Formats: sequence, structure tokens, C-alpha cells
Amino acid sequence: MFLGCVTGALGNSVTGSQTLSANIGANAKLSVLQSTVTLVHTGATFASFTGAVTVQYKVRTTPSGSSTLVVQAVSDFSPANGPSITNSDLTYTCSGATVGSACSGSQTVRTTSTTNVVTVGAGACTGSGCAGSDPNSVSISLILADSPTFKTGNYSTNLTFSISAL
Amino acid sequence: MKQIRMPWRLATAVLLVAGLGAVSAFGQTFAASGTTTLSVNVAAEASISIGTSTTTLSSTPGLFADYTGTTNFTYKIRTTLSGGTGTVNVQITSDFACAGGPCVASPPSAGDALTYNCTVASPGTACSGPVTALTTGTTSVATFGADARSAKAGNSGSVAWTLTNDPAYKTGPYSATATFTISAT
Repeated sequence: MFLGCVTGALGNSVTGSQTLSANIGANAKLSVLQSTVTLVHTGATFASFTGAVTVQYKVRTTPSGSSTLVVQAVSDFSPANGPSITNSDLTYTCSGATVGSACSGSQTVRTTSTTNVVTVGAGACTGSGCAGSDPNSVSISLILADSPTFKTGNYSTNLTFSISAL
Repeated sequence: MKQIRMPWRLATAVLLVAGLGAVSAFGQTFAASGTTTLSVNVAAEASISIGTSTTTLSSTPGLFADYTGTTNFTYKIRTTLSGGTGTVNVQITSDFACAGGPCVASPPSAGDALTYNCTVASPGTACSGPVTALTTGTTSVATFGADARSAKAGNSGSVAWTLTNDPAYKTGPYSATATFTISAT
């Protein structure tokens, strides 16, 4: 009885099938490489302060979708009486987007709204078999005006980069 | 059986985490948004632009009235909040020909001099003139105190020159170079 059960189990085979399906939707994520950027003087007296930040991103858009990577200042420079985002002192240019189109020309950072960094078109993806690098990246050159009206001291602000995809 | 299935469970868990795409192989975090902090140190600095590249000193003909002319300039300045200072100075870095003509370093007659008076917009304090210009060192045009800040486009100033009209000067054109220097701490 015991041996028969063992033999029966070893000789029995069952096959089956299961359909696996996945809905691959649009998605996008980013990573800001520099947690802190120090803006420094270059060139002549009262020349602008400059700095650079690199944002890496992974994106997947639908055949009719798109993706945008944007930036916004969380708040103005602190403390007061120094450079001011409200006064359009902080601008940037974009370059080297490995997928999509980097912003064109000089953009002004705002606290009240986002401004464009990269726009990715339909049917884009990141990774094996996709155009561009993995992850993708874009360089942002920051330019802060230096006005004699600023009081001397240390000032800081935070920039938030966001990405969305359809 | 348990010894065989445990590694499989471990491998499955690793694959699931990687599949989320949240963390790269280098530990880098990807998310829908990210933040960077911008910092800047705004220090004392100053610059000056001379608006009058050539200042012609002129006199009313025949009266031996002194030669006069005005040099305009624009300055930008930011001095340190506490204890900062600033100065605008001038020095004659290239004298008149001297031989038979006016001379700053060695005036041909006692009382001959190149002097000036100053006008400087706030926050500067103008020199107390008349000041005799020197070739051997700088002389003051303006001074600034702590936390002095000009307008973004700069503030104006001027130096009104007076050169003695000594009958001993031979006729002819003469020129000298005045160099303005601004500094801020």
C-alpha cells in the first residue's frame, strides 16, 4: 500500500497553462545627482554666480504620450536682502539631454510655477533597446545675478525637479 | 526541500526590488521628484567705470584762468555688513611732459598744482576738496562705510579738475593719465 502510493505519485504528471498579462503604462522617475550646489563667481567683479546640476531620469511614454521634466524653487533665497528668485535673479540653461529635448535658451526659475527642463515625446523609453542612455541625463547650468544691492552673507534656496509621463 | 527553496525565495525578493526601479545598482534613488540646495556666499566687491575716457582741461583764453574739466565715473560697491569699508582713489600714473609745461611731480612754479573736487552719490562720501593730485601715491575721491551698497546699475560720481594756468608753461598740448581705483572690504 505505501509503496504503491509512492510509485503512483512518481508516475503521475500534470500540465497546465496560465496566461500572464501586464499593462505597461507610462512612467518616469528622476534623481538629482548633486544634493548641494554652491554657486560661485566667475570672471569679472559683479559677474554672475554660476553652478551646475545634473539630473538623471528614466522615462517611458505611451505611443501617443509625452513626458516633461520641470523645476521650481521651493521658496525664495533665505535670508532676505540677498538674491531673489522673485526678482528673476536665478536663471538656467539646459544641455545634453540624452533623450528628449532640453529647454531652449535662458529660463527663469520661479517659486510660483514650474519651468521646463526636458520634454520627451511619444513612445520613448529608457533601458535596453531604447534610444539614449540608461539612465538618461540632462545638465542644468545655473546663473545667479550678482547685484551690488545684495547684502553680504550666505544665502540658500531649494530647487525641486519633477518628472511626469503620459 | 527547505534548504533548496530558501535561496529561491531570497532570489525572488531581490528581483522584485530591482523590478520596481526605485534604486539603481549604485544605490541612487529615483523618484518622481528630487531636490537640490543652492547656496551662495555674497562677498564684498566693487568696480568702477570711467565714463570720460578723455577729459579736456580748458581755460578762458587770455585771462590765465585755471584749466578745468570734469571726469565722470560710475561705481558699483558692496561692503561687508559689519566693519566693511570702501574707497575710491586716484593717482596720476603718467605725468604731463613737465619739460616747459605743467608738471604734477615737480611743478615749475610754487603754487602750481593739479587739484580736484569730488561729487559722489550716496552711499559714498565725497572727498573734502580741493585735493592735490599726486604721482607718488593715491589720494581719496570717496569713502564708504559698512553695508554700503550701490544701485544695481551703479551710482555716479565725478572729479572736477583744476590745473594752474602758469604763464611759464610753453604753449602746446599736454596730457597726463589719472588712474582711479575702487576697493571694498
